[in-house]
Amino acid sequence: MRIIRHGAVALAAACTTLAGCNLDLQNPNSPTAEQVTTSPDGVIALATGLQGRYAAAYGNFGYTAGLVTDEFAAVSAALISISDAEQGAVAPGTGIADAVFNSIYRVVRTADDLLAGADALSAQFDAGTRSGLRVLAWTLKADALGMALQSYQQAPITTFGLTEPTYVNRTAALAYIRAILDSANTELTATPPSAFFNANILTPGVSLPNMLQMFRARYARMANDNAGALAAANLVARTGTAAFSQFQFPAPTVNPYAAVTGGANGIGPRDSWRLALPASDGRGAYFVTVAAATGRIGTALDTWARYGNPNAPLPVYFPDEALLVKAEALANQNAIVEAQAVLDSVRTDCTGGRGLDDPKACLTALPASQTQTQLLAEIYLQRRFELYGTGLRWEDVRRRGLIRGPQAAPATPQDGQRCWLPYSIGDRNANRNVPTDPAEPTASLLVPASCPTP
Amino acid sequence: MLLRGLRRGLALLAILVVPGALTAQTATGTVRGKVTDAATATGLAEAQVLIVGTRLGAVTTGTGEYVLTGVPTGPRTVTIRRIGYAPVTRTITVAADQAVIVNAALRQSGINLSEVVVTGTATPTEKRRVGTSVASVDSSLLTKAQAVTLDQALQGKIAGAQITQNSGGPGGGGISVRLRGTNSFISGSDPLYIVDGVIVDNGSNQLTDLGIRSNPQNRLADINPADIERVEIIRGAAAAALYGSRANNGVVQIFTRRGTAGKARFALTTRYGTNELREQQPFNYYPFDINGRPIARFNYQNDIFHRAQTTEQNLTVEGGTDQTKYFLSANVLADEGIIRSTSSLRQGARLNLSQQLAPTLLANVTANYITTRNQLQAFGEQNDYGIMGSLFFAPTSVDFRPANGIYPLPPTLGTNPLLAIDRIRNPQTINRFIGSAKLTWTPRPNLLFDYTIGLDGQSFEQRQFVPRGAVLGTAPLATGRSQSIFQDTRVVNQDGVASWTTRPTSKIELRTTGGFNYTQQNINTTNAVANGLAPVGELVGAGSVFAAGQTNVELRTLGFYGQQEFAWDDRLFLSAAVRYDASSTFAPDERWQAFPKLSASYVVLENRSGLLNSLRVRSALGYAGSQPSIVNAYSQFVAFGQLPFAGRPGFVNDITFGNPRLRNERAREFEVGADVGFLNGRIGLEAQYYDRLVSDLLFFRPLATSTGFSRQFAPIGTMSNTGIELLVRTTNVDRKNLKWESTITYTRNRNLVESLSILDFQSAGGYPNRIRAGQPAGVFYGSYAARNCVTGALLVDSLGRYRRSNQTADMGATLAARQALSGGTCNDSNNAVIGDPNPDWMGSILNEFTIARKLRLRLLFDGVFGNDIMNLSTRAQNAGIASNSREFERELLPFGDPRKLPAGFNARTQGIFQYWVEDGSFVKLREISASYTFDQPVVRKVFKDGIDVTVSGRNVWVWTNYSGFDPEINLFGTNAGGVGSAQTTAADRGFDFGGYPIPRTWSISARFTY
Repeated sequence: MRIIRHGAVALAAACTTLAGCNLDLQNPNSPTAEQVTTSPDGVIALATGLQGRYAAAYGNFGYTAGLVTDEFAAVSAALISISDAEQGAVAPGTGIADAVFNSIYRVVRTADDLLAGADALSAQFDAGTRSGLRVLAWTLKADALGMALQSYQQAPITTFGLTEPTYVNRTAALAYIRAILDSANTELTATPPSAFFNANILTPGVSLPNMLQMFRARYARMANDNAGALAAANLVARTGTAAFSQFQFPAPTVNPYAAVTGGANGIGPRDSWRLALPASDGRGAYFVTVAAATGRIGTALDTWARYGNPNAPLPVYFPDEALLVKAEALANQNAIVEAQAVLDSVRTDCTGGRGLDDPKACLTALPASQTQTQLLAEIYLQRRFELYGTGLRWEDVRRRGLIRGPQAAPATPQDGQRCWLPYSIGDRNANRNVPTDPAEPTASLLVPASCPTP
Repeated sequence: MLLRGLRRGLALLAILVVPGALTAQTATGTVRGKVTDAATATGLAEAQVLIVGTRLGAVTTGTGEYVLTGVPTGPRTVTIRRIGYAPVTRTITVAADQAVIVNAALRQSGINLSEVVVTGTATPTEKRRVGTSVASVDSSLLTKAQAVTLDQALQGKIAGAQITQNSGGPGGGGISVRLRGTNSFISGSDPLYIVDGVIVDNGSNQLTDLGIRSNPQNRLADINPADIERVEIIRGAAAAALYGSRANNGVVQIFTRRGTAGKARFALTTRYGTNELREQQPFNYYPFDINGRPIARFNYQNDIFHRAQTTEQNLTVEGGTDQTKYFLSANVLADEGIIRSTSSLRQGARLNLSQQLAPTLLANVTANYITTRNQLQAFGEQNDYGIMGSLFFAPTSVDFRPANGIYPLPPTLGTNPLLAIDRIRNPQTINRFIGSAKLTWTPRPNLLFDYTIGLDGQSFEQRQFVPRGAVLGTAPLATGRSQSIFQDTRVVNQDGVASWTTRPTSKIELRTTGGFNYTQQNINTTNAVANGLAPVGELVGAGSVFAAGQTNVELRTLGFYGQQEFAWDDRLFLSAAVRYDASSTFAPDERWQAFPKLSASYVVLENRSGLLNSLRVRSALGYAGSQPSIVNAYSQFVAFGQLPFAGRPGFVNDITFGNPRLRNERAREFEVGADVGFLNGRIGLEAQYYDRLVSDLLFFRPLATSTGFSRQFAPIGTMSNTGIELLVRTTNVDRKNLKWESTITYTRNRNLVESLSILDFQSAGGYPNRIRAGQPAGVFYGSYAARNCVTGALLVDSLGRYRRSNQTADMGATLAARQALSGGTCNDSNNAVIGDPNPDWMGSILNEFTIARKLRLRLLFDGVFGNDIMNLSTRAQNAGIASNSREFERELLPFGDPRKLPAGFNARTQGIFQYWVEDGSFVKLREISASYTFDQPVVRKVFKDGIDVTVSGRNVWVWTNYSGFDPEINLFGTNAGGVGSAQTTAADRGFDFGGYPIPRTWSISARFTY
């Protein structure tokens, strides 16, 4: 018996002394939620992560919106779901249907984490830094939700801390987006962001006030609030480098457009966009290079001039969007002459006197005495050319009732081919509140449809 | 701390085991003799001779002779055992300094209940006592296979095992072993591998992208098959409960060779072989383009594949005294792959030492050092610089030969395969040490303590060099890439067992066993990547844009177990055991889990003569678990990930939400079986039926993505495997000059996903497969070609092209339109189950002939039946960008040709996944060999056991209807599951996409012994 006892003691001792047998390990590779949200450094890093996620979501949105409108088509190596999308067919559960939604709500999540962190650590940040963090979170969250609004018939707006968020209609979502942009504006005005925030937290090359005012103008226009759109558009700076906010992609990071231009997710610009431009329009060469490329299902493609370089910066917005919003608001208010003057400033933008590397049409001014209808049509056309690849075209064709329905190859699609994306399967699989996918209206190239809203 | 302790322990052992440091104090004698086959009177090699009640034992030499020195004087019992033969027991009296001759003629037996197994039983136990089937394979069967790796050598030899060579790369390719079906999604499919008591790593992850799921080699390839004496395999939870939370996929335990006492004996085996592509794939060589204009076409397969060479040298030395026994080996294997520029070089050395430290204390030390150097090329799912992807996607009209020294790139996808062969480099170096030290203390004959400490340490460097301008598409890869990744893997394993046996009455024996096991596994990885390479220079330093990374992962598992065995009259055996296990992966509250087992075995008949000679029935019930693989070791934590942006560090929430209640998967298995011997041992049958249910299967539970999270590891369902395994051994002819033996295996497994608490899911990201309740795991699920619901005829459009089920343009926008088109409801669903990669059954037949004792012929056929394969390689060929298949050729034919396919026919079938599903059944002539022993006296003067010369072939012929390179190759398969966040599960099988073809190998070898 003694031997057994000694043996057992020896075995137990071997385990405990040699190894420690401690099973409570920490993860050395990733910080925990607590480590990030309770330290100033962690919260500041969240602000950087938020800008990174926003850039990714913007890339996904612009890419998908371009495919289901008349901007982009699948290159020959692309996946089948991408060439389906270029013809207006987006099946639920495909990556293309889910990527927009999922990346948008990751932005929202990180923005909410940042807001919570900035509040929890308010004692450790000075007022201007805290304000900068909060304004940044609200601004990017608002535009992320705005991208959801432009892609889905309904969208959740309150998600933080919930397991099954509910969806609201576009009117409610738009009101919410404008409300948080207004909150951001109030905070920005009351407590301008600190120099520390601008130098160390905000991505170099981005102007937070300009970005905020541009978004305020954009969503005021979407809400048909002409006065609001006009007021905000006037606050977007017109000159100086701050007028053109761009995200930078130093190697080895890659511009989201460059990332989807080659390989299995590949898309390219349709040549129909370039061919629609007046021959002398400088914006053609700004965005694309003429190429004799053919896409996966026979589409004639150009190649990117703008985003071919993987480290090319991604504009958060094009400065002339503010002018186009302004022109439209004026035209809607029947201020025809003023509207035409603003629109002509876009059409005749040629030499870059403002020092910005933005698209320049270099066209002649419009003939005098345009009608309101002619002006609005011209604004619509200039938006197509000026805001190429930003995804904004989808909302433009939708609001003008120009959804043409799926166009199977070899037909060249015009305007837009779908009203909405199907809701994310990722959300549907775990959220009982996801509405059924909206039916697409019956439409054709000759008889476009408008999109029903609930 | 632990490492220092380990080093100190090993150093101490090294001092202790110096030969002759201790000598026994008591008087001893010698036992010697020869073991022969009763039927043929030839010497039997590798028979075990044991002195009962001591730790003394020997293994017979090639001629059947053995010597046991240092046998304590007095009456002793000698048992002699060999696989395939009935054991013999003799009682002798040993006198001091005298030799006793014990010769034995063993009778063949299809069933051997006295064979001793260790795996799953805690201590050495006769098979008769075990309620489950334990498969054992001995070295003779392994070495005759002339295989490069152990898992290759096991192919076709074990009922219940699906051993698949997923790729044909050099150095053994990537092989997966699956015992009794798929039992987990996330924890991989491979069994737990143990070498001499050490849990070893069998990872197959590649550190650079060599084709995400192509798995060119799994690390079992480091172990030299010639060092192996015996392999034991237990297939499931009932047998493996004592391995607790890691045993769900079964256990393969490998025992390397021990020295035998006597003068040093040398054996040198030398082998030369060739590897060749079995057959080329058809491509489009039609000499006209789509407009009927003449066009030159090229067969790149001639440039990519070649006849490759293999050489292998293996030297073993063994010998020793009664106190000290040693086994030394050295091995060099140089294996070229059939894809040019791929090769594998393995060099290894082993020392196994056994030292009697005291009459009751025995030490066994093993040390194995291996260096493997591979030069690989990417294949499989790698379309940027992978050779096979480039082959399948490149139009045959591209002239890839360099012009002005520059290799042209293909028009749309992939690289130039000639460029890849010439310039792209993926070298790997693996330096590995596997060592163990085991102390066995038997203070009394009925009391045993064992303690084993083992280390598997691996340093793995993988480099990759893709020159500037070698790939299409965008930077950064197009600017060239050089990377170097170091991974240090360490598994430290400690095992302790205590066992106490009593006999309260003469008929009843009781054995009580208890033990513990502690495993610590670390993987540390550091990588450096450079893009923007200078025109000259292949190392990272040649780059201009740099990135680096580092990860450390640790996993610890601790378990205790106890077992009570009851034996009555050496006939009835009952045992009950429980293992109590915990892993650092799981949340503290869920960590400790109990895995019980019950087993019964009853020997109805034994050693009778006549029709029915022996019969044993057995049954067992057991539980085992499985853990997510080490890459998911921290899944219980809610974590943030890095997202650097614009040159600054950033954090974002990890979209996989940690599960603070994570716990392991749990399998319950019931097994019932019998071992039967017929016709005087000439036919032996082992049969079993099993029923396994795995619950709490871990996978990603979807989280509403509107919350910013995507998924969480959580129990999501249950899955069952039921099946039958048969193993029949027959001696068909047994004459003096001709012996013919056969071994037949049959395996039938039915896998079923019983329930899912989440929706059906695509287990392999981007592939048309599904985990679906009520279906086998990993069924193909996707679009099909719609049929007329009444006639069953395929529906075609006006041009004669098929209609794709999930395409509105083909089927109509509304359900009513679909039904009107289909004439019924049979095409209502957009997608359907279109195939099943799980085989209906598998079988093998091994025939061995011995002619005039000197010439031995072997033929091993093995086959898999009723499984489907999705041929994505041919689909790639048919893609418009490639248009290089024979079927695409038919689109190019002139109008009026009856074989002409309508324009766009192949573009349409791209989207119809059912179109690419083929029957994957095959029969392979896996091994064929003839060997002859030159043992004329003149030869034996120099070489003691003569010279064996063997000519052999592997994968010589395949009978199949499958149209791809090989029905066995597989995009997934090797260690699939749990690979970071890439969604791949152990259920993913049957996708052929740019696999490395399995070569046909011919070799000639000679074995010399001194």
